[in-house]
Amino acid sequence: MLVTGIKSKPVYAPLQADTRGRYHLMLGMGVGAGPLLRVIAEMQSAAAQSLKNTRVLYVPDSESPAERFRAAGLGDVQSFTDTPALLERFRAVLVQSLMGTRLYVAGPESFIGLAMKIALEFNLNKDEIRAEECGTLARRVYCIHCRTTMENVRTNIVRCTECERWLLVRDHYSRRLAAYMGVMVDAEAPGELPPIKEVFL
Amino acid sequence: MNDAQTIAVEVIGIEQVTPLIKHFKLAPVGGGSLPVFSGGSHIIVVMHSADRVHRNPYSLLGSPQQLDSYEIGVRRMEESRGGSHFMHDTVKVGSRLEIAHPVNLFNLDKIARKHVLIAGGIGITPFIAQLEDLHGGPVPYELHYSVRSPEHAAFLDRLRGREGDRVHMYYDSEGQTIAVESLLANQPLGTHVYVCGPAGMIKHVIDTAQSCGWPDSHIHWEQFSAPPVGDAFEVFLARSKISVHVPPDRSLLESIEAAGVEVPYLCRGGVCGFCQTRVLELDGELQHNDHFLSEADKSKGKSIMPCVSRARCKSLVLDL
Repeated sequence: MLVTGIKSKPVYAPLQADTRGRYHLMLGMGVGAGPLLRVIAEMQSAAAQSLKNTRVLYVPDSESPAERFRAAGLGDVQSFTDTPALLERFRAVLVQSLMGTRLYVAGPESFIGLAMKIALEFNLNKDEIRAEECGTLARRVYCIHCRTTMENVRTNIVRCTECERWLLVRDHYSRRLAAYMGVMVDAEAPGELPPIKEVFL
Repeated sequence: MNDAQTIAVEVIGIEQVTPLIKHFKLAPVGGGSLPVFSGGSHIIVVMHSADRVHRNPYSLLGSPQQLDSYEIGVRRMEESRGGSHFMHDTVKVGSRLEIAHPVNLFNLDKIARKHVLIAGGIGITPFIAQLEDLHGGPVPYELHYSVRSPEHAAFLDRLRGREGDRVHMYYDSEGQTIAVESLLANQPLGTHVYVCGPAGMIKHVIDTAQSCGWPDSHIHWEQFSAPPVGDAFEVFLARSKISVHVPPDRSLLESIEAAGVEVPYLCRGGVCGFCQTRVLELDGELQHNDHFLSEADKSKGKSIMPCVSRARCKSLVLDL
């Protein structure tokens, strides 16, 4: 199966402050607060003036309320009820942003992917973006046959919600679509499916 | 690239555009079309003077849409090793030259959201062709062009006629300088800056961009170094099994070529890294003059760019 060893699969690294940047824009979701607070602590000790130019957009959950950022002494923190609301604000912020901005994203991969998709439209390059994956590994999957995107896919094989084909979830990732490619798994032997397992937890 | 792949051209027009810069038009011998190129490309012009061969890089400044001739601008260098003087003093309309195929080491970023072009003096040449590529497109751009005085503003009428107030002029003679800091501190996300001009200007723009928080992937520059003059030295080419003398006023690459050994090259100005050569043995020190090797690689002494770098040594053995 063409599942592993694919170069387009995103690679993430623990977030670190990039104090060469002049402005710092942080996006987080749920447990993503942890890595962002770590970067903020790093700035507090190494480059406190960076914090004045730091802005956080955050989707809190019950364990990680937005107060954690305010407790860290950060003024510019905005909370959102869900990812689409955050992304809408993110886009508006990017329109106003200047060169010298660094983007930090922490949260589940699907959240990172959607943020990256917008960052790409603004020509932010790898050396301007840092991302740390935390939370669920559930994937956004794009059906290459009918172009439907499915959210929160946890299994290696998934049925397309639109065309009802059985799809193998590949590691082949599209930054433009912010999704993994789902390819019909039983095209040559209809109905013969490999075992379906929960693998993206 | 080597001379077997050159194109024979004839000089079909020469114009003195400033006290120091001549504008040449080169058409293929026998007519026809020249190879396609994109804005920012350069060619190597091969000049056979009485006693030696010069191979100098020059940016193409004509329209990438016009391929019946190429245009280059040549500044007369005070401390010329002969190439620019040959172009200025010996080459006439009707003279024949050889050129290498165009190579682009100074590309416009294709997905940029804005382009800021900064030129100093003869550094305007690659931008003239790039502006042809940008003109009429959806992406905003602006040119900041600095020269010593109005009479030195090469190709300005051509630029003004086409680009109007996108061209911002700065004259040293009137005390005007490009305010790089305020220019780069206020650019929208996705802007790319490009600089071509004197070494000091390039360094100033790079340093300022970095201090404004710009990442390296948005900073572009091109500077062809002329090979500096240095002490004479001997080099042994291990695979060819010959010894080559490098005189003070010839580059290592030129000396190796004069001995009949071909080294692949593209820019001959220390930029592209194509002529990178392994150093097998060295008793002495390398004098790195290129912009390609990292400082760490330079200090290791295992590689040299023979187009612009030299050695001060008792012996040097190269993997050629």
